[in-house]
Amino acid sequence: MSSLARVRSEFVASWHSFLRRRTAVFFTFFFPAIIVVIFGALVQTQPTGGGLFAEPKEYYIAGYLAVVVLFTPLSRVGSTIARHRDGNRFEKLATTPLSRSEWLLAHSLVNVVVIGLAALLLLGLSVLVTGASIPLSAPTLAIVPFVALGVTLFCGLGAIIGSVADSQDGVIAASNAIALPLLFLSETFVTPDLLPSWFVPALNLSPLTFFARGVRALTYTGGDWTTNLGILAALSVVFFAAGTLAIPQTD
Amino acid sequence: MDEVLVADDLRKSYGDTEALSGVSLSVAEGEVFGLIGPNGAGKTTLVRALTGTTTVESGMATILGGDPTAVNRQRLGLLPQDFTPAGRLTARELVAYYAGLYDDARSPDAVLDEVGLADAADTWYENLSGGQQRRACIALTLVNDPDVLFLDEPTTGIDPAGRRSLWSLVESLADSGTTVFLTSHSMAEVERLADRVGLLNEGQLVTVGRPDELVAEYGGESRLVVRTAGDADLDLESVTLAPALRTETTEDGVTVYGVGPREIGDAVAAFDEAGVVYESLVWKQPGLEEVYLSLTGEQFEAARPAAAAAIGGHQ
Repeated sequence: MSSLARVRSEFVASWHSFLRRRTAVFFTFFFPAIIVVIFGALVQTQPTGGGLFAEPKEYYIAGYLAVVVLFTPLSRVGSTIARHRDGNRFEKLATTPLSRSEWLLAHSLVNVVVIGLAALLLLGLSVLVTGASIPLSAPTLAIVPFVALGVTLFCGLGAIIGSVADSQDGVIAASNAIALPLLFLSETFVTPDLLPSWFVPALNLSPLTFFARGVRALTYTGGDWTTNLGILAALSVVFFAAGTLAIPQTD
Repeated sequence: MDEVLVADDLRKSYGDTEALSGVSLSVAEGEVFGLIGPNGAGKTTLVRALTGTTTVESGMATILGGDPTAVNRQRLGLLPQDFTPAGRLTARELVAYYAGLYDDARSPDAVLDEVGLADAADTWYENLSGGQQRRACIALTLVNDPDVLFLDEPTTGIDPAGRRSLWSLVESLADSGTTVFLTSHSMAEVERLADRVGLLNEGQLVTVGRPDELVAEYGGESRLVVRTAGDADLDLESVTLAPALRTETTEDGVTVYGVGPREIGDAVAAFDEAGVVYESLVWKQPGLEEVYLSLTGEQFEAARPAAAAAIGGHQ
């Protein structure tokens, strides 16, 4: 049996497990909806004024997408690892042909599908609720690999957090502590000119920055997005490999 | 027969606690090996060392002639202790999931039928009863038809009927040549299933042998346990037992040691003739439980003799 078949088996089991946790499903899709409603409809952007949301509404589409690409994989994969460890599932899996990379790939694919659907919902709401316009052209489809690579990257980081944290509570706390600074310091909602000039180079240390820059190039500013996609792809490989190594195989 | 499992001077510590202190043993092909011992004795650590799911500090473990981490996993089955699979998959989906991880797997329905879960195949794992959950877990270990099967306390939480059906299943697996490494707190289970038994205590393998050998060596004598009625006085001086018998008074009666099957009648008659009023008489043959208690030094509070006394001058 091929590696593909093992990944498929893990994917199907994980997919069914996710779909049957109604609360998780609801909030996975409610989360992007509430983000758009709060920031896009209630707070609204004020392009002519000052403050945090001073850019045109299209500027923030990348930020909305970054929210789901960042938060959902971190907490989902981290919690899944904590649950697997609590139930001695990794001990069992270690005696099967399934490798750690196959396990993480399957769970990353589940997240890509789930977050892909959430991203579609988010884009639709952005257009409907905030009136933002998204260019309907072939390059816009490059959002798909951006989302897939971003999700894979943060699944790898989630695997590291899940392996280091000693409980599900610890995973949630650690995910939030890492995700919140990343979200606001990655050119998502806060523009670089609002930050101290000495801090601006540090934005390049966040993987989410390359996601936000690339998606913004596709949805708003135009210009080169391939460099950001390349960097994101390289970082995804690194984080996926690190996450694979972090997954517990022995006690 | 070929040795399928070998542990050679395995040592493993968790902080200051030595979980394995130089454990050596071997298990032959087709053998059912039972491992008993108190909680924290190192049983699960030994299973993990033999399956390659933990690393040892020194010593060597081999399975099917090779390193446990390099073994063909198609040939290995493991039911870990306290194993909890995904709760919202049905029993059939769970078995199908694990089947999908192997090159060659059995039909999920056939495996579920074998463990007696055919009727609950479409029930979510979390909605199964405790015994059904454990049977589903055992089904997961059988789906790849393993040559070597590790069962770490497999019948915990299973009702007596379910336990017996699983014992039959293990017996049929052993008959077909599967090597089984079983840990359990149920002495009856180990006594029935195991060809050989090892007793692990504080990380050391205290003894290994066939159940009947261990019982003969460490189990002590057969005995008659007499439970006297309520606050009835027990006048042992008036009970005339055979000279070879030895007695110990307990909080609620007396235990007579050395009573063989042919002496039961005479011993009971002696109590009757002395007018001893008793609630129950139980004749016990020594078993693995006595071996366990004898070698681990464990004892139930209620079972401790209140005092020792001799009848007719014999001790």
